[in-house]
Amino acid sequence: MSNENVLFQVEDDELERSVQEDEGAGSRKHLIFTVDDLKIGIDAEQVVEIQNSYTVTYLPMMPDYILGIFNMRGQIIPIMDIRLRLGKLPTEENILIVIDYNNNQLGIRVDSVDLMLDIPMESIVPIPSQSTQKLVSGMCTLPDGSGTMLVLDCEQLIAHGYGD
Amino acid sequence: MSNNDILDMYIYETNTLLEQLESIVLDAEKENTFSQDNVNEIFRIMHTIKGSSAMMEFDTLARVSHRIEDMFFLIREGTMSVVKEEDRPALFDVMLHSVDYFREEMEKVEAEQPLNEDVDSFLGNINSLIAKIKGEEIPAEEAPKAAPAPAAAPAPAAAAEPAPTQTTEGNADFPYELRVFFDEGCGMENLRAFMLVTSVQGFCADGDFSYQPAGVESDSSLSEFVIEHGFLLQFRSEADRVRAVPVVMSAGSVHSYEERNYVPAPPAAAEPASAPEAAPSAQKAPAAPAAQASAAAQQHQGQGQKESLISVGLSKLDQLSAIVGEIVITEAMVTASPDLKGLHLDAFSKSARQLRKLTDELQDVSMSLRMIPVSNTFQKMNRIVRDMCKKLNKQVKLTLVGEDTEVDKTIVDSIGDPIMHMVRNSMDHGIEENVEDRIAAGKDPVGEILLSAQDTGSEVIIQISDDGAGVNDEAVLAKAIRNGIASPDVEYSHKEILNFLMAPGFSTNTQVTEFSGRGVGMDVVKSGVESLGGSVSITSEQGKGMTTIMRIPLTMAIMDGMEVSVGSSIFTIPINNIRSSIKLTEADILHDSVNGEMVKMLDGYYPVIRARDFYNLPGGVEKIEEGILMWLESGDCSYCLFVDELLGEQQIVVKPLPAYVNNFDIKNYGITGCSILGDGNISIILDAGGLYAAARNM
Repeated sequence: MSNENVLFQVEDDELERSVQEDEGAGSRKHLIFTVDDLKIGIDAEQVVEIQNSYTVTYLPMMPDYILGIFNMRGQIIPIMDIRLRLGKLPTEENILIVIDYNNNQLGIRVDSVDLMLDIPMESIVPIPSQSTQKLVSGMCTLPDGSGTMLVLDCEQLIAHGYGD
Repeated sequence: MSNNDILDMYIYETNTLLEQLESIVLDAEKENTFSQDNVNEIFRIMHTIKGSSAMMEFDTLARVSHRIEDMFFLIREGTMSVVKEEDRPALFDVMLHSVDYFREEMEKVEAEQPLNEDVDSFLGNINSLIAKIKGEEIPAEEAPKAAPAPAAAPAPAAAAEPAPTQTTEGNADFPYELRVFFDEGCGMENLRAFMLVTSVQGFCADGDFSYQPAGVESDSSLSEFVIEHGFLLQFRSEADRVRAVPVVMSAGSVHSYEERNYVPAPPAAAEPASAPEAAPSAQKAPAAPAAQASAAAQQHQGQGQKESLISVGLSKLDQLSAIVGEIVITEAMVTASPDLKGLHLDAFSKSARQLRKLTDELQDVSMSLRMIPVSNTFQKMNRIVRDMCKKLNKQVKLTLVGEDTEVDKTIVDSIGDPIMHMVRNSMDHGIEENVEDRIAAGKDPVGEILLSAQDTGSEVIIQISDDGAGVNDEAVLAKAIRNGIASPDVEYSHKEILNFLMAPGFSTNTQVTEFSGRGVGMDVVKSGVESLGGSVSITSEQGKGMTTIMRIPLTMAIMDGMEVSVGSSIFTIPINNIRSSIKLTEADILHDSVNGEMVKMLDGYYPVIRARDFYNLPGGVEKIEEGILMWLESGDCSYCLFVDELLGEQQIVVKPLPAYVNNFDIKNYGITGCSILGDGNISIILDAGGLYAAARNM
């Protein structure tokens, strides 16, 4: 609710600048977070903010990975535990990344938020087809050599549930 | 005001006037006559449209509205009796057509498309009607001019043409002059002058008057001349001039006029002319204000209405209600701040109460801003039923119930199309083709379509029912199988068959008609209503008719609710649904054969639903004596909901649940929305009817 809970907020003009830079360099800023030892990246443009203090209101009759809803300055935003969504065991961690994809807002509970990185678009490759990894649209080796990042497919993340 | 604002204003104003006009015409058609008030009103509407269209330089619109105004001038002068019985249907048709015409043109104006220039045949219709009203045979003078004239031969302009040529022959033919001066700086004097000419044409034949300077309708450079020398109207007879005076005075921006009689002998003219000049003006002075007074009174009325309404952008209202919502919450956060616990602050509590009162009031007002009655949408159906009655040769009357029901503007906007589809469907498929069939079935030969709106507190229920033939299950099923929606091997229940009606690509009419049967329709209705978070259900009994019920939640509304807790969750139940709350003990609970729980209250037995078990909530009390029973009622269902504790009554702002959450069909479990509480927490709003239906299906 108050701004002191906001660790990070993408400023509009900063966004524009990064988009402009990206067009030249062919790279996009990604926010990288950790879920159960997986490094997952999300296009920074889709990130609204990161929250570490929020009150979850339980919403009945929902799948278990929907923890409930929370009140972000008057907006009601659903919270998804990405661990449960990926079929992993829940933890105590409660960092929330609020994303906005096509005006659908969703809070994603992750283990920790690592860093922002420019990822060259050409370095993102499709995942091998035999992989059963859900909700991932591609993967890439991180430029700093710290490992491999999976690119989160927001569309699949949000679209899922339609018709469920 | 920028140009765009003016255009927006023009479109808005014209559309409002058209709506008004349409409802007047539809009402009048039922009576088969226009009352004098109606005629005056239509005259005023057309006058306004004409003026503003000319101002915006939409000439065709100005021309059409001008002719209609002419027509109503005649009717106003001679009352409705000048229109013969047999011409009346034509008059109503022409009026409704013109409403359609203006609407179409408004849409084009809005889309910045070029307007339809070819209005001659339409003008021809109006002209021939005017001729009939005047009692003339359809004269060779007007009809051919209107019909064959190929492109831009504007009828009024053509009609005005002979006049200037005659002026050159000498003013002696038109000795009675009327010189009109406009208000200083009113602008577009030439057009205003032309509007005078056209109003004079309303009662004075073209050959009987003339005006100077000629060509004011097209040459704006003449404005200066008009400003300096005034605009000269010349009449053949004095009687015409007398009639012209009130018309001139009631026209907009007229500053003054002077009357003069032309005497041919030039040198001697000056002196004798001044004498008669004094006489008529002295004479006419008292007469003119009298005529003027009534006109002014009318205008005043119109003006008063206009000024008490202003149009505000919807986005501003949204912003306002969002901020007000925040203020209400913040107010509660401040006054209920934990920091104040244990302190005894007299002055503070007093101010806080005052603040509370004011914020409540502010909230009420801001919420009511967006609420508009559904009557406009409902009234539009009158027109559709009327047109389709004529087209399909059926006799149907439309009954409207609950038109005053106020709902949020966005809902009103989006229910128009679904309702229209349903009314068309009822007209086309529902009401029997032949009157004999109705009589044979023991029904009133005149079919009935009932359109009703009802506000239950948590949702609006729109019901469209007809007393037609109803749905033929076999025909629907056969069709569904043909279209591959249903499988021939499966047995379907009556309800399932009705649901096929709302499947995409389904249309029971074998023939595509103008009004329905394109295979879109019911599924459009369904998706339209569902996009509002509502639901559609159809009930039908063969031979008795069909009823469609749309339930639409009040997405943006303020509501009185009772807050209850179950475990750590907080729910809000609309006050309207609560009959009472009771503390009971385990011994009062009765069990049925399948271990369902019931209680006996006053006049009967009611099922008990435990919120904790129904929603699988963590925590919550189990023993009946530790919690409380809420006796709820919604529509025809009545039951008891078992919860932990009553927290208190509160006015809440209803917020819709996020779209993502709605994907999980949560509203089918009786959860319609949520609300932010004073402490920033969220309560979940329950829909008593939905909850009961869901519990019964489990």
